[in-house]
Amino acid sequence: MVVTNLGYSVPVNERGDSALSGLVRQPLVWFALIGIALFVADSRFSVGRSEIYVSTGLQDRLAALWTTQTGLIATEAELDSLLQNWIRDEVLYQEALRLGLDQEDSIVRRRLVQKLSFIAETEQTLAPEIATLETFYRNNIDDYTLPKRYSFRQLYFESLGSAEQALRDIGLGHDTSGLGDPTMLNASYAYRSAIDLNATFGFGFPDQLQGLEIAKWQGPIRSGFGYHLIQTTSVEPEQTSPFATVQQQVAIDYRQYQQENARDAFVINLMDQYTIVVEQR
Amino acid sequence: MRSLIGLLPLLFVVTTCSENSTTTSEVPQLSSSSAPETTSTISSGYNTERNAYFGDLHVHTMYSFDAFIFGTTSSPDDAYEFAKGGTIIHPAGFDMSLDTPLDFYGVSDHAFYLGVLRQMADPSTEISKHPAAAGMSTLGGSDDRGAKFTAILQFMRSGRGLEINDPVIRKDAWDDIVASANRHNDPGNFTAFVAYEYTASGADRGNLHRNVIFRDDIAPELPFSRLDSSNPEDLWAWMDNNRANGIESLAIPHNSNGSNGSMFMLTDNAGRPIGDAYANLRMRNEPLVEITQVKGTSDTHPALSPNDEWADFEIMPFRIATSLYSEPNGSYVRQAYLNGLKMQAEGGFNPYKLGVIGSSDTHNASYAGDEDDYWSKVGLRDANGVLRGSVPLSEPRANGELYADTYFNTWGAAGLAGVWAEENTRAAIYDAFRRKETFGTSGTRMKVRFFAGNDLPELDDEDLIGKAYGGGVPMGGDLIANAAGIPSFIAWVAKDPNSASLQRLQIIKGWVEDGEAQEQVFDVACSDGGSVDPTSHRCPDNGAQVNLLDCSISEGLGAAELKARWQDPSYDPDQHAIYYVRALENPTCRWSTWDAIRAGVAPRPDLPATIQERIWSSPIWVTPSQ
Repeated sequence: MVVTNLGYSVPVNERGDSALSGLVRQPLVWFALIGIALFVADSRFSVGRSEIYVSTGLQDRLAALWTTQTGLIATEAELDSLLQNWIRDEVLYQEALRLGLDQEDSIVRRRLVQKLSFIAETEQTLAPEIATLETFYRNNIDDYTLPKRYSFRQLYFESLGSAEQALRDIGLGHDTSGLGDPTMLNASYAYRSAIDLNATFGFGFPDQLQGLEIAKWQGPIRSGFGYHLIQTTSVEPEQTSPFATVQQQVAIDYRQYQQENARDAFVINLMDQYTIVVEQR
Repeated sequence: MRSLIGLLPLLFVVTTCSENSTTTSEVPQLSSSSAPETTSTISSGYNTERNAYFGDLHVHTMYSFDAFIFGTTSSPDDAYEFAKGGTIIHPAGFDMSLDTPLDFYGVSDHAFYLGVLRQMADPSTEISKHPAAAGMSTLGGSDDRGAKFTAILQFMRSGRGLEINDPVIRKDAWDDIVASANRHNDPGNFTAFVAYEYTASGADRGNLHRNVIFRDDIAPELPFSRLDSSNPEDLWAWMDNNRANGIESLAIPHNSNGSNGSMFMLTDNAGRPIGDAYANLRMRNEPLVEITQVKGTSDTHPALSPNDEWADFEIMPFRIATSLYSEPNGSYVRQAYLNGLKMQAEGGFNPYKLGVIGSSDTHNASYAGDEDDYWSKVGLRDANGVLRGSVPLSEPRANGELYADTYFNTWGAAGLAGVWAEENTRAAIYDAFRRKETFGTSGTRMKVRFFAGNDLPELDDEDLIGKAYGGGVPMGGDLIANAAGIPSFIAWVAKDPNSASLQRLQIIKGWVEDGEAQEQVFDVACSDGGSVDPTSHRCPDNGAQVNLLDCSISEGLGAAELKARWQDPSYDPDQHAIYYVRALENPTCRWSTWDAIRAGVAPRPDLPATIQERIWSSPIWVTPSQ
């Protein structure tokens, strides 16, 4: 297609004749060139101009759109103006199509690609069988698994010595209230993963929680702040959610997977129907 | 794949946040909702005394014209994956990931030319045939990319910028940015904000950049850019109009240090003295300022604060994207606070009641605040020590200089935005922005609490935070002076458990006396058993050292937390005053020293070898009662 790219198809040598490049920068020169090109293109086309038919249905839609946008019923004059605008746009649109101005236009190209991809993705598919979802769930089990999580109470001490003394006191039956140095940290944490604990207490802290007995005050263990006595209340092992509790999410994930598959299959199918020749470089 | 929160109804999952109260306990309970998108329900980490959350609100991806030229191909999706703990690839080919994930993130690409450069580099597009696109599909090394960046800036300034500001391309990119933020937003776990950068500058190239952060999942058709108007007052009017139509946002100015005095002027954009209307318009839309980022810190400048020994910190002396000197007067936050107080005292309005945050301004999609894992922020242009000027060139330059001729050596590994919010959701964090219950750090995850009031608890109170909220105002708030008594302040800072210990806790005071703005820095708590000298208001030196051969630091020095209940010794109930907290870590190696050690060379002698990472709270404004 000669027409559409003509705007930029004149070779411009950046290091070339400055008079020519000056000429090239003149908008009037461009308009003239584009005009000539359109004229030449038009005379080459034998395709005629078809009738533009404005149905009553379309007129109703224009009136309804006006009402949606303004909240008002269009008057006769407004309706006429809407109609004339639509006709004017349609004439320009049809003429642009006739001249092939949609060809090799990256914006139009991308819009059409997007539209077709969207249609391909949203092609109606049957609701999947439970068995299909279960298979999908098993094949993507990592996505439905929570990491190991710790719940514990903690007492903070600036010094190792005072932490050890406090542990002895607890062993002798002392109450833990009033023990420990003041801290911005919480008195207890619930269901914290290693990633959370590395951020909250410092790297290496969660490793030291491994193997602590439940319910018994133990330590001291080291953090980025100082020393801690820990009473583990529970350790949740890495836990895979039963299918029944995540079925809804699996269905959403499966649909997304299906959409991607549908688009890929659609493209592959289309590719088969086109003969594609790549010229050797 | 969506997070698992809510998928296991019987498990209560607490997330990557940091609850912070001596009395706060996390109580496992039944989760009532299985719908993670529902923001009207309380999320699992909810804390009425508020948690500290960390994030970065200044992140560029492949859609920013400059980031694309610098080689960045990471998308908004990549950026959010990175923030959540994923690994993405630097344009130079190495992996980037965070040791600990962030709690919130906002992709803030430049509104003008949004997505355009990326399209220019695709030879099948129409825009690639525009003269300004010359060479974009064959971008080469650092120098070529620098030249193309300069060329695009020159094209923009030629007045022809609109020719390539293609609305269809921008709309595609914007839709993707908005959709990506909405896709990655995960209430209770991770907050992704819809955001963009308004990149205006004055005729003298003084920087007027702002990031615009949207509260919700809806956004305007297209972001308002400098090509719509380079006058920030027009941006605020646009934001007002959006607000009237149900789209809430706020703007955060950044790099005031590079504004050549134009960010915090005493006049409006047209040169008229600031009045009530301007102050209200600005404050309605700009409650916060970015106090630190890779391109320097904007707290204060040694020339403006000659009595502040720590004012000379990460000073970046140039106007943005130039090598032109930037005038400090009118370019720094502390001075803006003081000028705001004067306007308040004299005219009853204050356009500079700003809370603070830090952010990075990365153009690699990846937060860049770690000194020992620093990749700076402009892709292939500053991807290694030689390009950044921290490691000598293999051959000296013709003039004998050993280091590359760039301004990247004036940049630093910074910064983070901190908020105190009830939970990790858009609404809770955005409301914290609006309350200014925010803080900024130079990159490490320190936390600071700050309260003022006439009825604050003692420091050893079991319910310190609860009573401080009850009997005072938190950072970002206003305290009306009470003739009956001198207000107290509670300042409390906790270290980053993965960084150095704390050296000192300070309260910075600004006030107006006899029409003159004044400032003073008070040390209020010292580490290692030191006490504040009552005359100099300084802690003794704790002697913390850095070994520049291997970056090891003194063992056993510094504090995990510092805390003070403080009264201003020169308090005057008739004066307008502000108070904010600054706390300093013990010194550690600066990024430039890490670069040099890893390259096996000596640290560059004209750069600071060490850094004292720090945190700044938003101020509390104390106003006379009359």
